[in-house]
Amino acid sequence: MNDLIKELYQEIILDHGQTPRNFGECENHNKSAKGHNPLCGDTVKVTLLVDENNFIKDIKFQGEGCAISIASASLMTEKLKNKSLTEANIIFDDFTNLIKGQTDNLKVITEEDSLYALKGVTAFPMRVKCATMSWHAYNSAVND
Amino acid sequence: MINSNIKNDFPIFSKKILEKDLIYFDTAASAQKPELVTKEISDFYSNHYSNVSRGVHTLSVESTFKYEDARKKVKNFINAKSEDEIIFTKSATESINLIAQTFCDKYMEKGDEVILSIMEHHSNLIPWYFLRDKYGVVLKFAMIDDEGKIDLDHFSSLINDKTKIASITHLSNVFGTITSNEIVKICREKQIFIMLDGCQAAAHNPIDVQELDCDFYVFSGHKTYGPSGIGVLYGKENILNELPPYQGGGGMINEVTLEGVSFADLPAKYEAGTPPLVEAHGLGIALDYMNSIGVKNIFEHEKELSKYALSKMRAMEFVEIYGNGNDKSSIISFNLKNVHAHEVASFLDVEGIAIRAGHHCCQPLMRHLGVNATSRVSFGVYNTIQEVDIFIEALNKCKEFFQK
Repeated sequence: MNDLIKELYQEIILDHGQTPRNFGECENHNKSAKGHNPLCGDTVKVTLLVDENNFIKDIKFQGEGCAISIASASLMTEKLKNKSLTEANIIFDDFTNLIKGQTDNLKVITEEDSLYALKGVTAFPMRVKCATMSWHAYNSAVND
Repeated sequence: MINSNIKNDFPIFSKKILEKDLIYFDTAASAQKPELVTKEISDFYSNHYSNVSRGVHTLSVESTFKYEDARKKVKNFINAKSEDEIIFTKSATESINLIAQTFCDKYMEKGDEVILSIMEHHSNLIPWYFLRDKYGVVLKFAMIDDEGKIDLDHFSSLINDKTKIASITHLSNVFGTITSNEIVKICREKQIFIMLDGCQAAAHNPIDVQELDCDFYVFSGHKTYGPSGIGVLYGKENILNELPPYQGGGGMINEVTLEGVSFADLPAKYEAGTPPLVEAHGLGIALDYMNSIGVKNIFEHEKELSKYALSKMRAMEFVEIYGNGNDKSSIISFNLKNVHAHEVASFLDVEGIAIRAGHHCCQPLMRHLGVNATSRVSFGVYNTIQEVDIFIEALNKCKEFFQK
């Protein structure tokens, strides 16, 4: 088996790709946005419940996509739940850098982090959009 | 079958993908280029280049000669009556936009109807959507059968007094099915115009526009082993003469005063601006190359590969193939059950196998099939039975990997 493929499809990615966590729509959500990858037709919708102190009380996603896009969305919801929007935005910046292969200045994501498993995407430039689709939906939901 | 030594004509095949031999199964997206074509392009720029039809000096004459020679080659390739019926554009997409807009200008008003099909490429949908949005033209869509062919009865039933033109793919870029010539007969009987989108067909089947009797035919250079940046529009001479010009600019005029302009005759009327002259020459050389192999032989070769791949793939219960029939010329769309097309494409990529995954610019068709994306293999002159075997083995490995 090719190492790049093993690197791309680590156990945790396949796991989250096949059995995504936080799949669905949050009840009483007050923020939401859709993401769409026009190159392949995959779609995602991210919904959040953000409280008056700007904490993410709940975050869920639904959509159709490849293992990378589903796993990325699933891992994102796990990571961002119960974070303040300020923290969440730092994680968002970290994640975009990680996916670009710029790992030198990561502020909060470490190698031990489950999100780090998505770094394998850097060897597949055409798959970067799969990994970032749900993150951009999150970003437009809270920052637009 | 075409001898596999033909690979030596294509420099790309000396490239390794992650130390593996390249297996290129994405010719339907764009064909690889024979060295003959790239060398000629380089020679044109190095030794003959100037603008066309504008100067009297030697280089302008040489460039003009090469450009017009390419037109002759295209004319012969599709057996048009006259070189005036061959318009060079930058792409097949531009060719379709040109027809949609000029045809609408001349022959259509609000409420008039155009017939397309649900399996058209976006390039044969959006130019017509523009007319719907801007002028209130009505679009109707012919359905397809289980094989992925146009349902001719349904197509026929859509035609009424308001119908002016149909624009239909000649060879589906998803199913690999060929549209029956019957469709042109139906249009002749009902006295509507018809355009065939030959982007896939021109690279794989012998084309004879006089025998087809279509009004317009379009294809692109890069799919017929030529360079990118060049498209062809064929139109019957009397019709092109009736249609208004498309873009305005240099080269398409007869006389210009501050008060007005009279237009050049065909084909210059539709070629405003400096044309893709080197690309046109490259296309001419590519067509020579296809003729040297024999388009009929190319057709048989790819059909053989398709038949072999289909028989193998149909025997794999985890493979779902789109389009029931066995009459697929060079293209097979499929999915592995429970594995997204992207996964398949990335997995095969590291095995050195280039395939397409996505919606193939056919989102309405994907919706009809109930999928977001499919994988697609498509064959060209350089592919072999051995490559299909390697591909089948890789599919098995892929299934194991994602189902563990």
